[in-house]
Amino acid sequence: MKRIIGYLWVCFVTHPLLAQYHNEEIQRGMNEGTLIGIGTSQIRDTYLSPFNYAGWGARIFNERMTFFREMRFSRQQIISVDISSTENPAENVNDFGAFVNYSFAYHYRLQAGANFRLLTGASAHLMGGFIYNTRNGNNPLSAKVDVDLNFSFLALYRFRINGRPVVLRYQGDLPLVGVFFAPHYGISYYEIFNAGNMADVIKLNSFHNKFSLKTHVTMDIPVHNATLRLGYLSSLYHSDINDIKTHILSNTFMIGWVKQFMLR
Amino acid sequence: MRRSCITYLSCLFFLTAVIFFCWGCEMEDEFETSPFRNFEACWKLLDENYCFFDYKEVDWNATHDKYFPMITDSMTEHELFQVLASMTLELQDGHVNVVSKYFFSSYEGWFQYYPANFNWSIIQSYYQKGARAGDYDEIRYVRLSSDRIGYIYYGSFNESILESELNKIFDAFEGCKGLIIDVRDNGGGSLTNSDRFASRFLEEKTVCGYIQHKIGKGHQDFSEPFPLYLEPSDGNLWLKPVIVLTNRRCFSAANNFVSKMRILPNVRTLGGSTGGGSGFPFTSELPNGWRIRFSTSPILDVDKQHTEFGIAPDIPVTLSPDDIERNKDTLIETAIQLLLASD
Repeated sequence: MKRIIGYLWVCFVTHPLLAQYHNEEIQRGMNEGTLIGIGTSQIRDTYLSPFNYAGWGARIFNERMTFFREMRFSRQQIISVDISSTENPAENVNDFGAFVNYSFAYHYRLQAGANFRLLTGASAHLMGGFIYNTRNGNNPLSAKVDVDLNFSFLALYRFRINGRPVVLRYQGDLPLVGVFFAPHYGISYYEIFNAGNMADVIKLNSFHNKFSLKTHVTMDIPVHNATLRLGYLSSLYHSDINDIKTHILSNTFMIGWVKQFMLR
Repeated sequence: MRRSCITYLSCLFFLTAVIFFCWGCEMEDEFETSPFRNFEACWKLLDENYCFFDYKEVDWNATHDKYFPMITDSMTEHELFQVLASMTLELQDGHVNVVSKYFFSSYEGWFQYYPANFNWSIIQSYYQKGARAGDYDEIRYVRLSSDRIGYIYYGSFNESILESELNKIFDAFEGCKGLIIDVRDNGGGSLTNSDRFASRFLEEKTVCGYIQHKIGKGHQDFSEPFPLYLEPSDGNLWLKPVIVLTNRRCFSAANNFVSKMRILPNVRTLGGSTGGGSGFPFTSELPNGWRIRFSTSPILDVDKQHTEFGIAPDIPVTLSPDDIERNKDTLIETAIQLLLASD
């Protein structure tokens, strides 16, 4: 327990020195990757339609990560924007989705080898966005606003291909508890926003009414003097509150570049 | 240690893959033309969302049993549509529609068997006779009866009007003794537009009705009525006598407009009963892609009563055949006389 409290204290209260993963000798540095990607998207929001809409999605993903305290801790900040266009099974109506995600995480190194690190930690996550149905009249939109505390885990593996160092990473983020915008079963946005009936539209969420998991796998490959990052991101979101079910599932393949900043 | 890390990581990855796979299976949905599945989906959507079952004393289970035997595997799309349309007509609600690629069902009993009380060509002649006539799409205005009475026709609340445009209209009525607002044949539209217009006729924030919503799938699962307020506009206000002309084809947002206007102190309603349509409609769909619309949130009047079947006017007046022959509108003429006679 003391260890957990100490860990949380270090994660969220102290301001550690920056360091960089790739080079132990660099004491302060930052690793920033920006990726763009496309993939598949599936959406079902029973406020809009009882059916699953499927289509494509695109994402811009920016991540900043630092290691510090002799590589035992890492701090990570992710901003991602994703949009999607999906169609109902009859292919005569579209849902357009747009979401912005921001997360701020601290990780602690559980185990480490010469080329392998396993980290776990917590992140604060904010999501805002909407799903817009092109055919619905008075209920065309389902807004999503979530603030969560996540369990986050991260594994890094370094190996060589043709003598070049390659870093493979796997990360998962699982919301544990939070609050989200949860309108009542049949309430209209006219009643919420025009008439001002905001009572009970913000609800506590946890596993009893929401399950979400975001995982991504990236591979950093040095190309000349730069680093190419290839990635795959899976995002799963499910909520069931006030008899309104929402499922959002996306798989995105991404590509981008990683920049290293020396701060010492 | 390295081996244990790899095992741990593999487990996590495998678990993630399983979760995503299961999720993908659950999300599977296919285009479905089965008449049975579409019938059941239509019935269930209404069963869980429609808001007037109890008020209208509709036994929805009995309705299911009545129409279910008409469904067969071999029926055509048109035949299925006719069954679904007939089933939804049992709700006697102009806000309930089934819309396929080629067909549209709508209950019209709310206006079909009532006098029209409206003749557009006669109204147009008033514009020609009047002074300072103007228009903004669905909104026309003119000064009648030797400039003493203002007249506005608002034909649809789908048409929004800017505050600045409303200011110009009310500027045009400067010096008039009274105002006629004609919303006959206004089939509704946006409540925001009707509220914007109504906000010109009061001095202080007023409770003008209530709204409820479904809080669950049961027929009685409703929230407590939540008050709807009307606030005075920052623009020109009209606080002199007003007569609102109504007929049976005032529906939905127009019915709501009349419900709000009639509680204001200087306002009277004249003409025929409105058509109702007080349920705020939502849209959804069937597995075959057909659109379905239905009332979900009852909007109540200031006395917390339903206005789903219409609002009776303060002064009942019918368009007389004699007046039609003389190219006169009985409702407008009566309203002018009443406004000129008012203090």
